[in-house]
Amino acid sequence: MMVSRRKFLTTTGAAAAAAILPARDVLASRTAGESLILDPETREWVRYSQRRAYRYYKKNGQVPEEFRPRDVPFRTAEEPGTIIVDGNKHFLYFVQPGFRARRYGIGVGKEGFGWAGIVRIGRKAEWPTWTPPAEMIERRPDLAKYAGGMPGGPDNPLGARSLYLYENGRDTIYRIHGTTEPWAIGLNTSSGCIRMINEDIIDLYTRASVGAKVIVLMQGAALFRGV
Amino acid sequence: MMERVRRILVATTALLVSVVPVGTAANADELVIAVPNWPSAEATAHIMGVVLEEKLNIDVTYQPAGTLGIFNGIDNGKIHVHPEVWLPNLTSLVEKYRDKRGTIALSENGVAASQNMCVTRYTAEVTGVKSVSDLADPKMSAKFDSDNDGQGEIWIGAATWSSTMIERIRAKSYGYADTMRLLQMPEDVAMATVDASIAVGRPFVFYCYKPHHLFRLHDIVVLEEDTFDADKWEIVFPADDANWLQKSRAETGWDASHFHVGFAAKLKEEMPEAASFFENITFTSDDITTMSYALQVERQEPAKFAKKWVAENSDRIKGWLQ
Repeated sequence: MMVSRRKFLTTTGAAAAAAILPARDVLASRTAGESLILDPETREWVRYSQRRAYRYYKKNGQVPEEFRPRDVPFRTAEEPGTIIVDGNKHFLYFVQPGFRARRYGIGVGKEGFGWAGIVRIGRKAEWPTWTPPAEMIERRPDLAKYAGGMPGGPDNPLGARSLYLYENGRDTIYRIHGTTEPWAIGLNTSSGCIRMINEDIIDLYTRASVGAKVIVLMQGAALFRGV
Repeated sequence: MMERVRRILVATTALLVSVVPVGTAANADELVIAVPNWPSAEATAHIMGVVLEEKLNIDVTYQPAGTLGIFNGIDNGKIHVHPEVWLPNLTSLVEKYRDKRGTIALSENGVAASQNMCVTRYTAEVTGVKSVSDLADPKMSAKFDSDNDGQGEIWIGAATWSSTMIERIRAKSYGYADTMRLLQMPEDVAMATVDASIAVGRPFVFYCYKPHHLFRLHDIVVLEEDTFDADKWEIVFPADDANWLQKSRAETGWDASHFHVGFAAKLKEEMPEAASFFENITFTSDDITTMSYALQVERQEPAKFAKKWVAENSDRIKGWLQ
């Protein structure tokens, strides 16, 4: 069970927005919200802005060390193969045997995901097609040519791979996918999906199976306001 | 009169069993053990099954079922054993089936269970939180802020649990309903939050219950509070009054709870050895934590785990069989 019915209904708007994955130029013109990231040297959480992220990426050609994939100790009762998403700290854990996990850096929605809970990988796709929703095409007539779907490729905002998240066998319209903006890992800039750099989503794609459990933790605006 | 009718029915059934050819072993006695869907009950169901088969030569079948279905099943003779009957949670069912209908009996010694608020050891050290009432302090609450809005978050249970309603009352009574955001989420999400909080060093406070594998998986600290005082608990149920929250209070810790093995009362006559085993069986809270850890965390197969457990605890089991 992912969220209560009530919660699910109230987040349908956000969910619809999540499907509207902005094209690169739209996103670049936005001012992203700052987030906190862990400084590996001081072990302190420091402010991280889009400007800082972009500068870092330009200079180093990769994301900060903390967001690169690594195997970490991770004690959990969850089965190996399970994915745990900690949007607040911008980490995705892929549970492995022996109380370890492979940890990746992620970018998340401006206001978290709008939801938290338990879903499953319903299907997986390589170089997925992206279809801009009708409302988006109305605002952006230049996207009309993609009304039937933008073919997968380096300019496609879904990136190299996509894991489609299902609840009770139905598509939630949330995905874990690649990106055309690798510097945005560690930030809260997307419209709600979980983004990874293409190299990482390709790596996760080869490890994660259809049917795998995905737990999205309570965080940010996604904190469950059940009371 | 009812008792007489029941005796006749029992006798008839016994007669049927004796004349209908049964394709199983010479000893045709068979017991149906219900298996509820949580790990400790799954473990104890299989442990009882192994003892019945190995020590008493009684055939056993396992039947997955929920609590209500099990009580009905024991009442109508289709099920013989419920591995975990929680009290006071199931008091009304026990009153109906044990006290009024006389179809179910409970083991004498229950396993002690408790409900509290917990933090990880790391959390206790960095925040200094010691007691549940500390959470009513806005400064303390801020230390549990996970979304940078200055207010802390606390997990109070799954939306479907009956305990969660009481936790809302407790939050109001202690005052942290005003200082913290109360989160309701499935247990798996909360437990994964504990895992991830430990992995990155982030404070987290949450509802917890014992016995539970969590206490073996992580170093967990139970927050202090006054022991249960019935005079300080007044619970009005939402079904009875729209203003239940305002009218309720729960200003101390939870009352202690415990769970017992439930079994068909008729076994006392039909299978006295088995009935006496169920009456005497005594698991400890530690046993249950170990079992739940073995199945839930180590993913041991229940039947294999049960065989091993029975072999390793033969002296205790001998005591239960006397």
